Amino acid sequence: MKRSLVGGFIVFMFLLAGISFAGAAPDKIVIGHPACLSGKFAKAGEQAVGGIKACVEWVNTTYGGVEIGGKKVPLDYKYYDCESKKEAVTSLIGRLVSVDKVNVVFAPYSSGLTLRGAPVTESRQMLYMDHGGASNEIFQQGFRYVVQTIGPATSYHEGTLDMIHKIAPDDKKVALAYEDSEFAKMVMLGAKEHAKKLGFEVVFERTYPKGVTDLTPLLSALKASKPDFVLGGGHFEDGQLFNRQMADLDINTNGLSLIAAATLPAFYKALTTMAEGVMGPSHWEYGVKYSAEEAKAAGLPWIGPSQEEFMALFKKHTSEDMLPDYHAAEAGAQVLAYVLGVQKANAIDSTKVRDALGSLKFMSFYGGWDVDDSGLQVGHTMVDVQWQDGKRVIVWPKAAQTGKVCYPMPTFQEKAKGVKAVPK
Amino acid sequence: MFFEQLGGNLIQGVVLGAVYGMATMGLSLIFGVLKVVNVGHGAFIMVGAFVTLFLFSSLGISPIIAIPVAFMVGMGLGFIFYYTTIRKLIKAPELATLLATFSIGVLLEELIKLIFGSEFRGYNWAVGKIDLGITVLPMSKLYACIGSILIAVLLFLWFKKTRAGSAVRSVVEDSEGARVCGINVGGAYALSFSLGIGLTVASGVLLTMFIPVGINPYMGGGYTLKAFVIAVLGGLSSPYGAFFGGLVFGLIENGSYTLFAYIPGVEPFALTRFLSFVILLVILLIRPTGILSAK
Amino acid sequence: MKQIPKYFPLIPVFAAYAIMFLVAENMEGMWQLMSMLLFYCALGQAFNVFMGMTGYVDFGYVAFLGVGTYGMALSITRLVQYEFLGAWIIVIGFGLAMVMSTLLSMAVGAVALRLRGAYFAIATIGVNEGFRFLIEGARIWNGSEGMIFTADLNKVLGRDTAAALCTYWADIMVLVIAALAAFVTLVYMRSKIGYALTALREDEDAAKVMGINVTKYKIIAFITSACFAGLLGATAWALKTPYVFPPEVFEIHYTIEAIIIVMLGGAGTLLGPVVGGLVYGISKYYLSIFLPGFQLLIFAPVILVIIVLFPEGIVGMMKAKTKGTGMARFIV
Repeated sequence: MKRSLVGGFIVFMFLLAGISFAGAAPDKIVIGHPACLSGKFAKAGEQAVGGIKACVEWVNTTYGGVEIGGKKVPLDYKYYDCESKKEAVTSLIGRLVSVDKVNVVFAPYSSGLTLRGAPVTESRQMLYMDHGGASNEIFQQGFRYVVQTIGPATSYHEGTLDMIHKIAPDDKKVALAYEDSEFAKMVMLGAKEHAKKLGFEVVFERTYPKGVTDLTPLLSALKASKPDFVLGGGHFEDGQLFNRQMADLDINTNGLSLIAAATLPAFYKALTTMAEGVMGPSHWEYGVKYSAEEAKAAGLPWIGPSQEEFMALFKKHTSEDMLPDYHAAEAGAQVLAYVLGVQKANAIDSTKVRDALGSLKFMSFYGGWDVDDSGLQVGHTMVDVQWQDGKRVIVWPKAAQTGKVCYPMPTFQEKAKGVKAVPK
Repeated sequence: MFFEQLGGNLIQGVVLGAVYGMATMGLSLIFGVLKVVNVGHGAFIMVGAFVTLFLFSSLGISPIIAIPVAFMVGMGLGFIFYYTTIRKLIKAPELATLLATFSIGVLLEELIKLIFGSEFRGYNWAVGKIDLGITVLPMSKLYACIGSILIAVLLFLWFKKTRAGSAVRSVVEDSEGARVCGINVGGAYALSFSLGIGLTVASGVLLTMFIPVGINPYMGGGYTLKAFVIAVLGGLSSPYGAFFGGLVFGLIENGSYTLFAYIPGVEPFALTRFLSFVILLVILLIRPTGILSAK
Repeated sequence: MKQIPKYFPLIPVFAAYAIMFLVAENMEGMWQLMSMLLFYCALGQAFNVFMGMTGYVDFGYVAFLGVGTYGMALSITRLVQYEFLGAWIIVIGFGLAMVMSTLLSMAVGAVALRLRGAYFAIATIGVNEGFRFLIEGARIWNGSEGMIFTADLNKVLGRDTAAALCTYWADIMVLVIAALAAFVTLVYMRSKIGYALTALREDEDAAKVMGINVTKYKIIAFITSACFAGLLGATAWALKTPYVFPPEVFEIHYTIEAIIIVMLGGAGTLLGPVVGGLVYGISKYYLSIFLPGFQLLIFAPVILVIIVLFPEGIVGMMKAKTKGTGMARFIV
């Protein structure tokens, strides 16, 4: 009883604090973000916060602020830790919207948490930008204020299939082995459909549960199906395991592409030579060729820092040895999309910005950006990355390519002897 | 084809099972002596994994050497946690110790995260592999298996041949009787708890020898649940039971996949997990002392 | 009229809820925070009916919230095609949530309640995990893809009503569940069930010898507790968050949170879960705001200290202090 009074009092004080600075709102635009800084999505959350901070600084310093009504207004970034938990997501969004009076909410990581926050922002008619929820289903629910920056899950492995279809027309047998999660299964569904369309034969299709620590039985069965190449994965943890146990069991295929895990530096660090030639689709990778010139060629307006600038700003805002991955890039690009949306609408009202975003097309270091009517991202294409001699080389699509693909990749025995996956 | 796969999986299952068994002995020892279920079990395994990783990646020390180091680290942690919390909770209801050991686990996870970050790490200890025809076995897995068996034997000898070992045994049998006979029951508790934690942390090394990837602060959760099933298989309070429980569990986990894969429209991997929990419930119901214990 | 003083202990509980409601209703920006606190209070109240009163630790408690969530989700996604049902599918959802959690609790009770102490705790973990893997493995109820049904809700109720349901009425329902659970707790405490369970908690064998049918009362408390959990799942998870994914609704951390709340407030007390829920929720909320990323690092040692030094919980201590004074009537 006493406690609740004390609690009520604390709450009341915070409310007063909230009112006092609500009056000063017009001279800055505030981005609110219930970030996942601890709990199961801590890794991705840290990246996103770093990416957002980097791009906010770029907008405020290099870009000079957001131009609205002929005035340059600085951006402000307000974030809390949602512990990767849904109870916290709604309460923190509530706070961001009404106490901190933010102008836009960036969703937390993962489709589940993104969905959790959506009803709250919808009922407040608050723009809700999704940089970490890839599920296509989010955009089939009829939300009006949700806009996606990350590409939809179904498109993850399409590029890989296109590439193999093109470079190795004889390799027709594909094995699919994904994590049993809502996200990975959607990737699998997209891959399966695309594979059938291109005339591939799916010889193996299985999932493994989240948090798996030994994939031996599944991989033994996969080996027996004798695929030409393997697509699979789910998150960071199982990707390493997948590759490692393929090597342990000497399962050699011409190609191996893993979602989420394979593109991370930690992946190669953990597996070293075993990861040679392994590929992974990524939303963004350091080294992509997107630049102001590219944008010009594609007929899209360009905004934002160059890749090097982004990298430098990211490092400034995070620990020195952290490199930005796609979680950082997509969150950062979202800041840029929002800035352009506000400028286009010449207002900070969510409804107007949402409308403006609907017709916005641009390119940044992250690549293209364009959403359809439901808010689903359709302008961004995935890139395929391959580990070649310890470096990440972007091998697909041709437009973003930084090197040729090494296909078929060397066998695990060869790799153990030091053979590197370099294209012939 | 079917038998080839089943055979391969079973061989892998035995090797894995030995490591699982070793990884559960600490849990059973602590429960057997103190009647405390260590819900933070997996976090101690995680500590062992980080000890290995640190020694191997930063100092270039072989995982074999990491086993005794991890054991000592575990003993130290065990003594610290015993004297700060567990000692005061032995007579309290289960709830208190369950929550306390859980909190200890969370504390360890967050501390390790603070020091090492939440990156997924791994190391590459290349010692070759052997091809058995139906499956391929890396030598590091084999070493982990042999190491587990050795440790189990050492523990057995310690219980049988040393004074401290028999003191602990007598406390398991009858703590009141032991007290009457002049045995330092408090000391036996402290020793068993830290020994249990030491074994658990050491098993973290063996597990990373088996699976040297995916090392991160939150890796322990899955192992805690597995350890529960294995401990129940082995009778919950007997470390040897746990060891054999591990073997059985490894066989079930790897063997049943091959069978489930023949049922259309299901996810065989998730079903192997389901099966292990069904087994857990059935054993608890018909024979809570475990199928493998003599009593 | 003599009956009325029996219900005095409900006054502080309901007063706390009323204050929370008023704060949420009248203060801008407080609604979502209060809804989180209410969820924790309700979780504690529901869990307390069984764990607090019997001393049994149900580690798989979250499974009942999970099936409750599924009950509501199934009703909405499967019945949306029958347009004549309209908003009744929500009511059916509540019914289904209750039936499913009751059935599961009867099944679990039949197996696990024969066990005691640590064996019981482990068995219930087994039920929770096993059930989740059954859903994923045998692909029951869409397996791991789960169900997302905001669109269905919009279709049935219209966009505005659906939004109001998710962000307002679902929270009100949580409040009602919390209050109801408190009421039932008191009724149990003041009836034969309460005395039997107290005897059981102190010494189960002695209670049996004295001729108390412990099994019967245990099961009553277990089913009641599970039923509230099912309702809570149907509202706080299914209606407030119109989706269900198996790994999220069977997340063992919620059981731990429930235990922490009950312990913090005082197990087996009526006011305990409210105090525990508020203290836990508020400290968690402000830690996440002022020290993002460090909550758990701070929480874990604090919980250890509480277990070791204040095993009776806050309300337990208050009870001891107010013993014999006029306040004692209110704090139970």
